[in-house]
Amino acid sequence: MSRQQSQNKVPQQAELDRREWFEWARAGLGGAALASLLIKDGIAQPSKSNAVPSQASDPPPHQPPKAKRVIHLCLCGGFSHIDTFDYKPELVKRHGSSLGGDQRPDVFFGKVGLLRKNDWEFKQRGESGLWVSELFPHLAEVADELTVIRSMVANSSSHTPATFQENSGFRANGFPVMGAWMSYGLGCETDDLPAYVVLPDARGFPAGGTTNWTNGFLPAQHQGVVFRANGTPIDNLTPSRPIQAKSDKASLEFLRDLNRQHLAARGESDLLASRIKSYQLAAKMQQAVPRVADFSQESESTLTDYGLEREETRDFGRNCLLARRLLENDVRFVQVFSGGAFGSPRINWDGHEDMIRNHNREAVRIDQPVAALIRDLRHRGMLDDTLVLFTSEFGRTPFTQSASDQVGKGRDHNQTGFSVWMAGAGLKPGIAFGATDEVGWKAAENPVSWYDFHATVLHLLGIDHTRLTYYHNGIQRRLTDVHGQVVKPILA
Amino acid sequence: MHYKVATRRHSFIVLAFQVAFLTSCLGAIAAENDSFDGKVAPLLSQSCLSCHNADEQKGGLDLSSREAAMRGGDSGPAISASDPEQSLLWERIQSEEMPPEHPLDETEKTILKSWINAGAVWGTDPIDAFAFSNDRRAGRDWWSLQSLGRPVLPASASPDTQPIDAFVQAKLAEKNLAPSPAASSDSLLRRASYGIRGLPPSADELASVRSGEETYEELIRRWLNSPQYGEHWARHWLDVARYGESDGFEYDRMRPNAWRYRDWVINAFNDDMPYLRFARLQIAGDVLEPDNPSAITATGFLVCGAYDGLKPQVDLMRQIMRQDVLEDFVGTVGQTFLGLTINCARCHDHKFDPITQREYYQMTAAFAGVNHGERDIPAQPDKVKKLNQEIESRREKLRELEAPVREQLSARKSDSLGPNPIAAWDFTESNQDLIGQLHAEPQEPTKRIELGVKLNGNSTWLATPALPETITTKTLEAWVALSNLDQRGGAAISLQTLDGVKFDAIVFGEREARRWMSGSNGFVRTSSFSGEAETESGDTLVHVVITYAADGTITCYRNGQLYGNPYKASHLENFAAGNAQVIFGLRHGPTSPDRLLAGTLKTARIYDRVLTAEEVASSASNQPFISIQKIVEQLSPQQQKLHTELKQELDQLLGQQANLKGGKVYAANGRNPGVTHLLGRGSPLQKRDAVPAGGIAAVQGLSADFKVEPNASDEERRRQMADWIASENNPLFARVIVNRIWHHHFGRGLVATPNDFGFNGGQASHPQILDWLAAELIAQDWSLKELHYQILCSDTYRQSSVFNKEAHAVDANNQWLWRFSPRRLTAEEIRDSVLQAAGFLNRQVGGPPFQDVRPYLHRGAQFYEAIDPEGPEFSRRSIYRMWARGGRNPLLDAFDCPDPSATAPQRAMTTTPIQALTMLNSPFMMRMADEFSARISERHTELGEQVEQAYRDTFVRPPTSEEKARARAFAQEHSLSALCRVLLNSNEFLHLD
Repeated sequence: MSRQQSQNKVPQQAELDRREWFEWARAGLGGAALASLLIKDGIAQPSKSNAVPSQASDPPPHQPPKAKRVIHLCLCGGFSHIDTFDYKPELVKRHGSSLGGDQRPDVFFGKVGLLRKNDWEFKQRGESGLWVSELFPHLAEVADELTVIRSMVANSSSHTPATFQENSGFRANGFPVMGAWMSYGLGCETDDLPAYVVLPDARGFPAGGTTNWTNGFLPAQHQGVVFRANGTPIDNLTPSRPIQAKSDKASLEFLRDLNRQHLAARGESDLLASRIKSYQLAAKMQQAVPRVADFSQESESTLTDYGLEREETRDFGRNCLLARRLLENDVRFVQVFSGGAFGSPRINWDGHEDMIRNHNREAVRIDQPVAALIRDLRHRGMLDDTLVLFTSEFGRTPFTQSASDQVGKGRDHNQTGFSVWMAGAGLKPGIAFGATDEVGWKAAENPVSWYDFHATVLHLLGIDHTRLTYYHNGIQRRLTDVHGQVVKPILA
Repeated sequence: MHYKVATRRHSFIVLAFQVAFLTSCLGAIAAENDSFDGKVAPLLSQSCLSCHNADEQKGGLDLSSREAAMRGGDSGPAISASDPEQSLLWERIQSEEMPPEHPLDETEKTILKSWINAGAVWGTDPIDAFAFSNDRRAGRDWWSLQSLGRPVLPASASPDTQPIDAFVQAKLAEKNLAPSPAASSDSLLRRASYGIRGLPPSADELASVRSGEETYEELIRRWLNSPQYGEHWARHWLDVARYGESDGFEYDRMRPNAWRYRDWVINAFNDDMPYLRFARLQIAGDVLEPDNPSAITATGFLVCGAYDGLKPQVDLMRQIMRQDVLEDFVGTVGQTFLGLTINCARCHDHKFDPITQREYYQMTAAFAGVNHGERDIPAQPDKVKKLNQEIESRREKLRELEAPVREQLSARKSDSLGPNPIAAWDFTESNQDLIGQLHAEPQEPTKRIELGVKLNGNSTWLATPALPETITTKTLEAWVALSNLDQRGGAAISLQTLDGVKFDAIVFGEREARRWMSGSNGFVRTSSFSGEAETESGDTLVHVVITYAADGTITCYRNGQLYGNPYKASHLENFAAGNAQVIFGLRHGPTSPDRLLAGTLKTARIYDRVLTAEEVASSASNQPFISIQKIVEQLSPQQQKLHTELKQELDQLLGQQANLKGGKVYAANGRNPGVTHLLGRGSPLQKRDAVPAGGIAAVQGLSADFKVEPNASDEERRRQMADWIASENNPLFARVIVNRIWHHHFGRGLVATPNDFGFNGGQASHPQILDWLAAELIAQDWSLKELHYQILCSDTYRQSSVFNKEAHAVDANNQWLWRFSPRRLTAEEIRDSVLQAAGFLNRQVGGPPFQDVRPYLHRGAQFYEAIDPEGPEFSRRSIYRMWARGGRNPLLDAFDCPDPSATAPQRAMTTTPIQALTMLNSPFMMRMADEFSARISERHTELGEQVEQAYRDTFVRPPTSEEKARARAFAQEHSLSALCRVLLNSNEFLHLD
């Protein structure tokens, strides 16, 4: 065995450094396979030495990118645009009257009550004068950073299909979500951490569970990797029962030698060589993950800003801070969920019964942490090339979910007009784009579909949404299906 | 990309051929028409019609019909006959303003110009855009749509060359490549064993071929006839069928009876059901054979995809959701059986293949009566009886074979307690727990007699202290002699909470006189086993065992035999450490005469897992448990072979049992389909004319007109659909399945896209092999096993996988098959092989799934948390796990097991650090490494022998002396388990040559 090793100049150290690996690979592999392996492993990438390159057949950038990374704050259940970012004075006037007009609203639960004014007072904020309600007092302080779209339209009024569409463009199960497409299209700036990380609400997964971060038909490495707030951050990072460090190290060395010997006997093989490499990457990940999840180097004031010292903001604050640390360490796409499954009692934004109780409870959990995140990103200069998304699958109706002659307390689902916002790289800050009708029911001006939204996100990342494709069962699939137009007026 | 180029060239050749053919055949009179249809129309449809058609009319211009073309668009008339210079059409084309970005080349321009010059005579009106293939789309002349014929063998082929090899070698010669030498016998067998069964070969199997005792061909036959063949190939099929066992979407509800379809697929493969019938039953089994439960079960195919059961009040949303369901049916049926992406024509004519939007709605009309849901399947008592006899006869033969060895072995270790109970009491001696600290205390003075401890039925019972460990899955076991048969409601052994509120117990005669049942608080986990009335009492001991599985299944055994029927309770109750205890004689506390047993308790045991039927049988015969594996090791080679065969037959028979008992199945529910309408742009708001059920006209060789009315019954529509799809005249039907089988054996199909034989899929690398095997398949009565056999016996398959630099430079992807492409094991192959190596693989065939997820309801929605449960029922092959859509297995997931929501004809093969972490550190893998080494240590005491055994069990070969020395030193220093962990992670274990 040792004879064979020396013939192939196999380095003896546990950790091969890059140069050594390169030399060994050159000695052990043929030219063509080596080139493809190097590109696959990112060594030939001009950017970072340990970057994981794009897998796309027509790799981005298709145009100069504005954003390098994305954090998606995903609010489950549908937050009310008319109580947050879409101020409707006419709705206040018409409080208690019926919607009128000749169109009967076709709502999810079929009950159309009287119009209800916003429950939180609106004010114009900052220098921009952007309208933000009192539901988000902290967020209101960074209003000048936000780019609000007030004319979103979705294709489903049912939570899960609508959430699937929000994330994947399709209403059905099984299509890759944004984070998976980013991982596939852009790769990752690091091989120490996954490209796409998911931070679920501490109270539970959203309905549909892991389907919400599926790679769909894209290769498995593009699936979202869940980081837990407590305990070991990701599964299987360390042996499930204690093993002496010495033994673990010796095992990896023995495995590497076995594998090299096996490869040497077979001449050349990308397949086998890249698996050898994958164990080295795993070792790097074992170092990187605990490091990124460790807040001990964060200042006291940072922890306070994110709300880690207050009960009601701790969970979401922790996830926002972790998200920032992941992005700093070159993760491509971090998705932070606010809200879990549906049902009663609610643990998300689905305010059917009592808007005031529901939205107060949910908003206080996220308001301060999100504002802190925006400030922190700005402070660190990261907001210039980071894109922040703040969305939910649809909004809520201006009329209440109640008998037709009553002003009830809750609002039903509204996919015909609602608000989302973005912030950061390449956007015009402090503006609101598009408009709903005078009571906030339907998008009336510049309607924006999820396809348009996704096309815009991709555009900011330097991707032409029609060119990021993956062949699956007869179709070159896209995040934007066969639709989508970049929302140019919101771009800087 | 490779393919696009090939496609283009090919279609030009086809086009040129068509033109030449037409010109030569038709007379001069037709020549002008011909020049339009043959040259101009294809050019217009390829370059202009995608924007300027009757529907879109960009710039107001529609060039698809004579009248519209002459009328022109917003800028005025487009064509001035005989005067190109005055024709806007020519002006735009000449200036290369049109078509945008893709100007015509000179030849094409000349065609158009001379056509206008010659008077712009129109041919077929409107233009038939589907007639010919071009470089943007497929026409009706597309290769895969043409009728099948048996291709002529290459002239160079010698008569004794297999046709597959003749075609491959001819192609290799054409590319200046040569086939690789034959693979070694061992690596070929390892390859074929995985290819057929998804499991490694045994050392004996390798030896029997090496020694010439059995030929390769004989072994292939034997493997194809093993039940593991059906399990492995059913997994391939279920990928395509997008098989899942929960709804997906928001509620993701479980489908507890979906597994019957999975078993149907396994059995169909194992029975070598003709592929024609296999397809017909899945499309329309319930209407073709309404009295045949198996045919009903087959239609699980149509509905095993995701389904949104949450219906909004919004009517339009509901209509759209129904259209989504129909698209799922049509998409899956079209791709699975025909390799056609018919679903792409829901909103408009297919952009790439000759499929109209109207045809899409003809297809949906055929399935418009199909609905998701459970339905009853009748029990088949006659078949059950016959089956039980067959099962008993195999068991008897196995017992005969095993008995001598068993006696021998049990004599050797008579002090053993059998399969590791967590507590055991021998009341003939004392009330002490022989294992731990659960010593039983009499709660009233009791009497000990020779038979055991006497329970008077009025006051006496015994109880242990609180459990030190929580018990979830479990087995309760007791030997008891009943004082009388008419007593009601006493228990031999009961596991209860300390307050007596919750309990699981072996209860006699409570609900049904003289019968055993599993007692529980408020009967929440109690159902009748429907067992026989008890007949033994007095001094005769009866052995009763009840097992409680994680999925709620409760099974009872009496004297080692299954007692009545197992059933599935709503849940498995947990008994928490510190809060529960074991009691004897009393059903549950507090004491009450109607809960007390009259009789004598001899021994009792409790296990923290579900005992298998064999373990129970062994325990009942009062012998220490001896693993079957140990017994088999002691048999002669002939006896071992016989034993394996009997065991396989038995497993297969047992697998059929659950399916004959009747019950529910998740399958197609046929209803009145109503009338289907074409929907403009796919929108229910744009209802157009009524459409009857029908097929795709471009498929040559049979008529796509079903001659049914738009209001025909579900039965009539689907029967016609089954006839049209599953037909030897439908050329796609045989081609597609041949390609799937080839794909799984070689890692790449003759057509690289098994679900898409249309334009985007591309060409076949070896079209003659595809057609030759398709013809063979039909000639062999659609036998898939024969097809496998032909492929596996070809020299092409038997080639070595050794790397060859020169060949690699010419054909890096190995599409011309100059070697066998090495591959990584698939996700299921990895998990099953690990279990096998560790000696833990439970080969039970069929039946309800095991759950490696913990299902829980949270606020109305169903969630599935991945867990790593232990015990034989969880050590079955991966195909038997419950495939909940929201509850996936992290190990399988990491190794590219597809999301069961979309049809997955081929799997990605990725290599990631997450895979490495999972293989090194996950609880399952660590546990298997430990079990693996424990098993080896049991068999061998010397470390060198242990190392050898570890190599044999993972690599199916002994280590070289150098390897052995290093491995031995490693195991010496770091433990045998550490060595096992390394071997299970090694490339040699995870890859096939």
